[in-house]
Amino acid sequence: MLPRKDAFWIAQLLRRAGFGASPAELDRYQKLGYKATLDELLHPERIDNSALESLLAREKFDFGNPYAIKKWWMYRMLHTANPLEEKMTLFWHGHFATSLQKVGDPKVMLEQNKLLRRLALGNFETLLLGVSKDPAMIIYLDNQENQKGRPNENYAREVMELFSIGIGHYTEVDIKEAARAFTGWHTNQKRSAFVFDDKQHDDGEKKVLGQRGNLNGDDVVHILARSPDTGRYLAKKLIRYFAYDDPDGDFIERVATQYQVNGYQIRPMLHAIFSDPSFFTNRAYHAKIKSPPELVIGAIKTLGIRNADIDLPGVIASMGQNIFEPPSVKGWDGGKAWISTESMIERFNFATKISSQKFEELKPFMSPTQLASRQGLKTSHDAVNYFLDILVDGDVPDYTRARLVKYMETDLDGKATRGVKNEQVLDAKLRGLVHLIMSLPTYQLA
Amino acid sequence: MIKGAQAGTFCLSAGELLKLAACAAEPQATAPRALVVIWLNGGNDGLNMVVPYADSAYYTARPGIAIKPGEVLKLNDKVGLNPAMSGLARVYADGHLAVCQAVGYPRANRSHFHSRDIWETGSPDGFVASGWLGRALDHLESEARARQIVSILPAVNLDPVLPKSLVSHHIAVPTVNNLADFDFRTDPKFAGDRKTQLAALNDIYQNFALGRPHVELLRDAGLAANKASDKLTKIVQGYKAGANYPGGGLGDALRFISQMVCGGVNARIYNVSLGGFDTHINQRAGQGNQLRQLSDAVAAFHQDLAAHHLDRSVITLIYSEFGRRVGENGSQGTDHGAAAPVLLVGKAVSGGVYGDHASLTSLDEGDLKYAIDYRQIYASILDKWFGLDPHEVLGKNFEEINLLEKHRT
Repeated sequence: MLPRKDAFWIAQLLRRAGFGASPAELDRYQKLGYKATLDELLHPERIDNSALESLLAREKFDFGNPYAIKKWWMYRMLHTANPLEEKMTLFWHGHFATSLQKVGDPKVMLEQNKLLRRLALGNFETLLLGVSKDPAMIIYLDNQENQKGRPNENYAREVMELFSIGIGHYTEVDIKEAARAFTGWHTNQKRSAFVFDDKQHDDGEKKVLGQRGNLNGDDVVHILARSPDTGRYLAKKLIRYFAYDDPDGDFIERVATQYQVNGYQIRPMLHAIFSDPSFFTNRAYHAKIKSPPELVIGAIKTLGIRNADIDLPGVIASMGQNIFEPPSVKGWDGGKAWISTESMIERFNFATKISSQKFEELKPFMSPTQLASRQGLKTSHDAVNYFLDILVDGDVPDYTRARLVKYMETDLDGKATRGVKNEQVLDAKLRGLVHLIMSLPTYQLA
Repeated sequence: MIKGAQAGTFCLSAGELLKLAACAAEPQATAPRALVVIWLNGGNDGLNMVVPYADSAYYTARPGIAIKPGEVLKLNDKVGLNPAMSGLARVYADGHLAVCQAVGYPRANRSHFHSRDIWETGSPDGFVASGWLGRALDHLESEARARQIVSILPAVNLDPVLPKSLVSHHIAVPTVNNLADFDFRTDPKFAGDRKTQLAALNDIYQNFALGRPHVELLRDAGLAANKASDKLTKIVQGYKAGANYPGGGLGDALRFISQMVCGGVNARIYNVSLGGFDTHINQRAGQGNQLRQLSDAVAAFHQDLAAHHLDRSVITLIYSEFGRRVGENGSQGTDHGAAAPVLLVGKAVSGGVYGDHASLTSLDEGDLKYAIDYRQIYASILDKWFGLDPHEVLGKNFEEINLLEKHRT
């Protein structure tokens, strides 16, 4: 039986709608309660995020450098007061996947990222139109080359297959016709802004998804965004991203309906997911594999590490999510695809990296002997329970708990010990414990 | 399976295998038959890889990007290889490259992702969760167990994400890209604690059951990771490459595969891919560079295996999710198409050109019609190379193609 306490589900909400929470953040949200927390997350426009902006300004990023835009984004994920806005930006980055490798200029990628954030919870038609005119996308899917009489189908295919209605809802003829509608949708010479190249646009009659006329790109976006297929496609993808991997048709319809009745808005879909009864069941609980940023940012927040000595973009790239460089136009598959032997080794080794940091906000780590006396963690049992609770909700088999206690009751040569340890051994064992718990299957789950 | 090899060889300890690797120059080197699969990611343009240079329709359809008859590396009086593929042209001249033309499947799917699924699962007709290689592995491993043959790893994936092709019912295939990072690390300040932590973690993983959806997957991957890191780091030391590999990811990957083959890892399947084939624009240069990398890396790999006397034990299959449209587009490139050639490389391969190049005028929605079903190639490999019943893996019978020399029993 899962607890019915608000606090328990707020923690889950923050793992899904955000990147986990620090002890202080958790405290504040729990005082607000579930409904008010969700309301706050859904309305980033009401929240003062100036602390983040001034922190970023102090860093003086050079946005001509690919690494800088990655680091900039990781800092946002870590320090934002609007975690859902950032999470949705990451969702859209995977949805409208565009890679620095082909686009080349980090500043163009950064502009796309800002567009995705600005429209993250808003109207999907506006977002789809913005992306269709976004220089990074135009370069990535070759629409720059799409000209009257010499169409390039790349964008027309992916906008249907991956960005809106989904496979099975269009024909090869729809793609060829839509490609003609997007002819002349180019960038300027500097590749920094959209231009409509009149001379390269095909003004002839086209027929896309049953609609006929002298269609242009705006018309195609309009047709696609308003299709019920798009509502269902987005609903399924959002549920899989935020709730669990194999939603049934009813849940998808409940969320897709919100898209249709609210004028193609994303926010009501998110509200529907995070307040759906199935979000508060075993089906959802610990049922998602953490993506690399969820794992990495979450660890830093939960353990209260203020100055992490960690190459954040590099670490998540080694686990399989190199932001701004998705593997293909389909983005990251997510779910089970995050897990391989190699990514598990990377996750284990990240746990080692974390467990050897300074834990400024976590009192027990400031002095291991204080842990014993003041925090009331008198025994190995207490320490194991404490860290299992804060890191994995205590959601492990009994054997795991017992085996961790046994690990705590050995010295640095692996010999069994009892009683008080010296400070150095206690410190080593507590860090080893954190390493082991972060390496558990449950810790990989959100 | 592994007919013609001596089963006893595969029961060596790691130490003995190291010795074997060190004296690999001796001719008795042996390994179980392995298949290397290289997927050309993005939809490789078959017509500019195996060029129908004697067909005028080719030049009509591609005024801007066709390869001139004088440039192609001729295989026969009809087709020739892209000029960037001199490495594989030499392999062809030696009789170790088979070129299967116009390979595809009914009702071509032009989505990268769906067509990739179709190739990887071996099922064009509907969704299946397992891959054709995964199912083959299930059979190979159960036979291996029956014969008490030890393989350190049943298969190795070198791509960032495990492809569907390697999804099996019983085996978690490890992914390894970079051996240097493939090591369970603990805090260096307390080095003595590493063994204790590793033992605790393995115990916990072996006994981890929680009734949540992904827990088994995580447990298997975690256990496989620790096992693989322990074994691999020991076994692949002492290898010296017997050829010069080109720079780039594919050359590195194939060198690592050679290192594993020579080191006695005894995997039956190695998986890797090369990207950059989605050539909607400026195809001549883009595809040329990728084909050069492919051709040079594969030629070096087979030379390397020959130097270690293991070239009879490995074949390499090269394919892409689809070919591209016959006519070029407006950007000196090509859009998504259908049928395309598949290559098979190895000393055990009967070299030659199989099937005719597809008609460039009788088309299916602007694309080449297939003549060889891709599963005919799979069936030939399953039967002739692995000694498996193709029907068990593919669910149907397919007419085989004699791509591989008759296999010794």
